[in-house]
Amino acid sequence: MSNLLRRALKISITPAILMIAGKFLGLLIINIIYDFNFQIDNDLQGIFSVQLYYTDQTTTLFANSISNLIMILTIALPLVYFVAKTLFYQKALNNPRTIVKMTKLNVNKWITKDDSSFLKIFIWSCFLWLSSMVTISHSIQGITYEYIAIIAVILTILTTWGAVKTFESETDKIYPRDKKYI
Amino acid sequence: MPKNEKLHNFTNTAGKILEPFAIGLLALLFIIPTLTVINLSPITKKLQELNVLGVNTQDEVSFTLVEGTHEIFKNETLSRIEEDNYTYSCDLNKRTADNYSKPILEIANNSTDIKDIQLYGQTLVPTNSNIFLIVNEKSYKIQNEKGFTSPLKIEVFPGEKQIVFLSIESLSGIQFNEKFNMDIKVIETLE
Repeated sequence: MSNLLRRALKISITPAILMIAGKFLGLLIINIIYDFNFQIDNDLQGIFSVQLYYTDQTTTLFANSISNLIMILTIALPLVYFVAKTLFYQKALNNPRTIVKMTKLNVNKWITKDDSSFLKIFIWSCFLWLSSMVTISHSIQGITYEYIAIIAVILTILTTWGAVKTFESETDKIYPRDKKYI
Repeated sequence: MPKNEKLHNFTNTAGKILEPFAIGLLALLFIIPTLTVINLSPITKKLQELNVLGVNTQDEVSFTLVEGTHEIFKNETLSRIEEDNYTYSCDLNKRTADNYSKPILEIANNSTDIKDIQLYGQTLVPTNSNIFLIVNEKSYKIQNEKGFTSPLKIEVFPGEKQIVFLSIESLSGIQFNEKFNMDIKVIETLE
């Protein structure tokens, strides 16, 4: 088995679990805080037999929106951290001022170890795309607030840009641009 | 051939065989969370399908048949026998050993007093299934696997609406359809 595949499998497990956990915990927290009366039914027509539902549409809209937001943030926040860490790491290699700034902010850990590879950022981005697609489709169906879908789109665009920048810096290591060797 | 080389060859061959499965597993790692998240999303579909059959706003207690489709619970009816007496019936389709449930009734107390409702349900023939009614997230057994039945009395507070679920726990596969009937009665309370 190739190392790439083995690494991809290893990296994918955490965001996959976090995606489900984010949605589930989001629903759980909302139900606990607002004491919503939810019901569980096993309608056999879907892919899964268990279906969760509420007594009125407003509650469904609110609970689904907040749980989607929590799911998006659960994936997006670590991804933003990985992207920022990689970008600062790359910047620190070229610019000593960045090292000074990072030292002042006491985040030297970010520039001393390059453990956020492009593969990791790409896989996490894929999970964020999937979460965003689910949120956008829910928003189109009218079961999620529109602003949640907008937040999802913005976060996805930003992190995708970060993933592209990481890809550029990774390829620069192999094919340096402008005769610049790292 | 040296032992190390044999092991190396075996690892290589096993790796090549496992690779397609690993690709499938990787795809599943993306598909399963997406489907789970879609399935975890709550809906209000069932309550949008509330049937008006049996509803009478002039009554102190009104009963509404929650319709919707289900593979096990079919042909649901709610009939009014007397002023405070209704009959609910449905067909229970053949099924594999498992738990099944469905919301069947919405009971609304339109009066200013607490109302006691008696629910007494059974299948025509005893089957190897436990039958429950779920009210306010609590489960009450109304018929055991040997066919012994017990009535259920619930209290509905003024202005309150309660959804009653019918739940079946089949201990083994049931290969025939059966009929389930339930008497619903508003019990007179002496004040």
